[in-house]
Amino acid sequence: MPTFSSDKAATIHRHLHSHLPSDPALRVKALESLVVERGLVAPETLDAWVQAYSEHIGPMRGAQVVARAWNNAAFKARLLDNAAEAIKDFGFEGSATGHLIAVENTDTSHNLVVCTLCSCYPFSILGMSPSWYKSIEYRARAVREPRAVLAEFGVVLGDDVAVRVWDSTAEIRYIVLPQRPPGTDGWDTEALAKTVTRNAMIGTDRVLKAQVE
Amino acid sequence: MDGIHDLGGKQGFGPIPIGDNVCFHHDWERRMWAIARSDVLPPGCTIDWFRHSIETMAPGNYLTLAYFNKWCTTHLMLALDAELITLDEIAAGHMDTPAEPAPALTLDQVIAAGRKQTRDFSCETMTPARFGLNDTVTTRRHINANHTRLPAYARNATGTVIRHHGAHLLADKGAQGLHEAEHLYTVSFGAPELWGKDANPIDTVTLELWESYFV
Repeated sequence: MPTFSSDKAATIHRHLHSHLPSDPALRVKALESLVVERGLVAPETLDAWVQAYSEHIGPMRGAQVVARAWNNAAFKARLLDNAAEAIKDFGFEGSATGHLIAVENTDTSHNLVVCTLCSCYPFSILGMSPSWYKSIEYRARAVREPRAVLAEFGVVLGDDVAVRVWDSTAEIRYIVLPQRPPGTDGWDTEALAKTVTRNAMIGTDRVLKAQVE
Repeated sequence: MDGIHDLGGKQGFGPIPIGDNVCFHHDWERRMWAIARSDVLPPGCTIDWFRHSIETMAPGNYLTLAYFNKWCTTHLMLALDAELITLDEIAAGHMDTPAEPAPALTLDQVIAAGRKQTRDFSCETMTPARFGLNDTVTTRRHINANHTRLPAYARNATGTVIRHHGAHLLADKGAQGLHEAEHLYTVSFGAPELWGKDANPIDTVTLELWESYFV
């Protein structure tokens, strides 16, 4: 059983730091050997997880959800009412999306998602987060100066557009529903999904383009 | 705890590394994420104890170690804390007495397992909610020395309840291995309330806050 003792955890951390190899690749290799030899997971299963998160579980999932919302008003209403339930239509439920909420950008509001205390992220719908999302800089600045942060991403907002920053402090997770790009009337959901960027679903991208570069 | 992990609003860190747009830089990072997808944490470990365990790293290490390096180190720390492995076994990279190997799962099997990793943190409570939609709430100035999810920048601040989620497992207690239900709210704070008069008055920051975080 865990001890749930902060002091003991802090002591072990300091002890470990002076005993572990500094190369993180060696640290992970040791951890993998130990969990495999404890009979907790097979190396082939780890290979499968790596493949799952590189090819199947990623922002392409969120993009499909967004595209369907653009093309289907009833689905969009369900998504905004209960995103955790709506993504089950696709079989996209899973890690960290049990309490998923979709927040919609409008002409007068822009949503931005961050986790200042760790790096919470809706994994089963967007995959692993990009490095900048986990960076100290983003976690520190997104809540205090979101407009400056957005400008660094090339998103410049007018004074009539309110910024809504969502700091994920509990098990609620957020996905941004961006605005449909102009010039895409009549497009099917597959074509629309290709216009949706990962950053748009986090909120560091705003104006999507019909022409995908 | 008032730890270095509580980064919201801290100044002096410089530009966002926006060009660093990849999820993984190295194979060991993919491998660490795959290990974390598997059920390898000590029995009885909660998500809150895992988060708090990362917070207990030496502050300098917290700021400088790579994200997945922190995860790896914390996985080893947790196994040591629960006395499931020894320092000698870590140093050797092998268990003294290996267990029966786990079965190998295919890609389809892990994708199916991934769908089952969805978790419901809501729970029943007999305690009536103290607040409702559009109510004004003020957060506490002081926090406990253990795990909490009330960031420093949102303490002693007044905001508006925009959602009531019913009761959820309280993270502060979860970090102590306890399952306690408490009402959870999404609270919207005006940017000037948090950052002063120069902040844009139409901007807001919202957080999920449990009832005991309010005065």
